[in-house]
Amino acid sequence: MMPVARAEQPVADFDALVREHQAMVFSLAYHVLHDRALAEEVGQEVFLNLHRNLATLQSAAHVLFWLRQATIRRAIDETRRRRRQPQVELEKVAEPAIGPAERDPMLSETLRRLIAVLPEDARAVMVMRYQEDLDPSEIAELLEMPLATVKSHLHRSLAVLREKLVRRGLGDR
Amino acid sequence: MDWLEEELRRALARKEPEPGFTARVSARSRAGGRGALSRRWLATAASVLVLAGSGAGYRWYQGVRAKEQVMAAVRIAGGKLNQVQNRVLEVAK
Repeated sequence: MMPVARAEQPVADFDALVREHQAMVFSLAYHVLHDRALAEEVGQEVFLNLHRNLATLQSAAHVLFWLRQATIRRAIDETRRRRRQPQVELEKVAEPAIGPAERDPMLSETLRRLIAVLPEDARAVMVMRYQEDLDPSEIAELLEMPLATVKSHLHRSLAVLREKLVRRGLGDR
Repeated sequence: MDWLEEELRRALARKEPEPGFTARVSARSRAGGRGALSRRWLATAASVLVLAGSGAGYRWYQGVRAKEQVMAAVRIAGGKLNQVQNRVLEVAK
């Protein structure tokens, strides 16, 4: 993904890049790992890797693409390594232990927890779609995944999340 | 966009890391990029070195003990030989 508006901008100095992208990198890691300390560690490692590779990146858009790809790969690797969140079929995920409400303040947390137990590829697709607002073709390029697979992950994950929330009385709107 | 997609965007909105993130990254880049994961490897390597050092130390201690035992045996054997020699000399007189 190469945003046109940023494509011609030169690469800024390292500290400025960290400040500019830290929320994006940290959040990608956090939404995949659902662990703030681990997300911070992964975020720092990604930026240190960027520091080593900065000379090979020619534009701000290239840096953005590189950071998104490196972060999601590193976070998924960490998930596989640690298996903190056991991977299970989405349909078998236990319902979150919260009760129904008219406008549940815990809905966002419930969604984050449900996403955090999605299979890794589906999780990466959902985070790229709804955190980074990328369209399916951009996600396919970034994750090096067929477009049809990206669309399938989105469609299936949304259907199951919707069903789970409606069943809990959290999404019947 | 339906309600679920709106809620997902809200739930997955970007969040800031703990304050001082940039400073921590800069400090690590100046320190050669050693982080918690690298520190874990260093700790493991240090443990291996300590164990190896302990093993070498134990072998050295065993060597010293063996040498002391050999020397004691030599002293005892020498004492016995002296006694035997004295007896032989007494008989020969």
